[in-house]
Amino acid sequence: MARPLVCRVADVPENTLKECEAEGGRKLVVANAGGEFVAFQAMCPHQDVPLCEGLFDGQTLTCHMHLWQWDVKSGAPQGIAEAPLERYALVREGDALYLGGESSALDVGELFNGLGPALIEKLSALAKKESHPAGAQLYDKGDPADDFFVLDSGRVQFLIGRDPAGFMLKKGEIFGWAALLESHPQRIASARVIEDAVVLRINGKQALALLESDPASGYVAMRRLAGLIARFFVVAGAK
Amino acid sequence: MRIQVNARNRAYRFDAAPGEKILYAGLRAQAGLPYECATGTCGTCKAKLVDGKIADGWPAAPGRKYLKPDAGEFLMCQCSAEGDVSIEVASFVYPAEPGAPRVMSRSGAVREVRPLTHDVSAFDVELDAPCEFEAGQFMAMGAPGVAGLRGYSMVNYAAPARRLSFVAKKKPGGGFSEWLFSGAARGARLSMVGPLGKATFQPALAKNILCIAGGSGIAGMMSILARAAAADYFSRYKVHVFFGVRTMRDVFFLDELAAYPKADITIALSEEDPPQSARLRFERGLVHEVAKRAMAGKYQNVRAYLAGPPPAVDAAIRVLLLDARLTTDNIRYDKFS
Repeated sequence: MARPLVCRVADVPENTLKECEAEGGRKLVVANAGGEFVAFQAMCPHQDVPLCEGLFDGQTLTCHMHLWQWDVKSGAPQGIAEAPLERYALVREGDALYLGGESSALDVGELFNGLGPALIEKLSALAKKESHPAGAQLYDKGDPADDFFVLDSGRVQFLIGRDPAGFMLKKGEIFGWAALLESHPQRIASARVIEDAVVLRINGKQALALLESDPASGYVAMRRLAGLIARFFVVAGAK
Repeated sequence: MRIQVNARNRAYRFDAAPGEKILYAGLRAQAGLPYECATGTCGTCKAKLVDGKIADGWPAAPGRKYLKPDAGEFLMCQCSAEGDVSIEVASFVYPAEPGAPRVMSRSGAVREVRPLTHDVSAFDVELDAPCEFEAGQFMAMGAPGVAGLRGYSMVNYAAPARRLSFVAKKKPGGGFSEWLFSGAARGARLSMVGPLGKATFQPALAKNILCIAGGSGIAGMMSILARAAAADYFSRYKVHVFFGVRTMRDVFFLDELAAYPKADITIALSEEDPPQSARLRFERGLVHEVAKRAMAGKYQNVRAYLAGPPPAVDAAIRVLLLDARLTTDNIRYDKFS
């Protein structure tokens, strides 16, 4: 299948942004970051504001509405932003830019985003892609915790503590992270599919070994994991 | 009515009175729900209905242009629950800071309406019960017989305050301001919700301050100046104020601004040449351009506060991010005009 055409190189002058509709209908924003073309989601992950209206200095994109910021090359959130940008690979052929494939859920996710293509590729090699229908219970409290999951599409509800509402997860969000904790062989939460979902299943021990082989990236990932877990304690302490 | 809000990080449950807007009920219950204008224009408080029935108090609210109504999205500031409801908010929601002023419904009487220019008036409201608020905050205010609420920043600062001062610009077709300017307002009862807004100043900030305001946006800056003066802030930190209006006919609060000789205050006139004045500095130009010229090289340890018409605020944001390279947590504004 031919790659979908996104736009022409001349449509996006250096250090500017443009919203484009790729063949097939996907809307995205193309940025020309000092001669390098990158593509990412058209709407701000915060409040669905068009990112093409944002401020762009050739490196950092700022959504004008509530000042969330990202480094467009890595998609990494900066300042007060709470979520990374979902990026898409672009392929340049002559004066045209084509969509190079879907974004990787691993790269979209808050745990591994921006840690570099080499690490993402090795993690992808460890990941098994699984489809689960709505209603499927992925795991329950007390189950053995060997693998963790990254949501690729669909909706998954994550229940932890005494909060009966739980959290509706988004693409790239990680769950089952007990598998990344040492001496914690059991699930402390449960996860159920709400809308047909595709998930990446990754063995916790293998991922930890990979992160140990790249301590700088491993440190960042573990720091983010600590922050992610700490957020759930707001729930535990809440009335 | 029981409301359940599922945010990205946790759920909140609170009660709402019949007809009470879901946003106000949540803020009253100390849930830090997302909002900016709280009065139907900005779209920041959008949520998705999961279960139950809601009533929309203002189906023509401009903020609805940010919604996907077929996906069940609605504005929490305009909708009330009809029975128990369950809703979803896409962002992280944290409990209100302990010690933050309590958001609630308040009432009072208009005590004074005093013209400041041909189209701007000051008015005072005497509250039935005193209110705590932070300098820079606003009230969402409703008048008898006028649909919907409008946001007005407090001009004064006192903790607690029994009397609140505001300024309002006369807007043709603006229900609240036309009512205020009609003469019917004096003595009238008002209902309001607040205090609201995150563009707040406390002396513990310990940073130099830059205020850029267009027109009636100067209101909140006056509150910030009052709070700073009471804490002798000017002797430790620089305070720069840029107040933009079109002509001398549109300027107000000159005496009040001149009462802060230790603050660095500039009036920017966009449509006429400035007069000579020994008391205050006047410059010609749009307020964000005047501020950009005057502030070059002075952005160390600066927190900026912005207010005014949305295009003026956007222009100032652009200067502060791209020229001044301020970090986003040091740029504060609440777009509600």
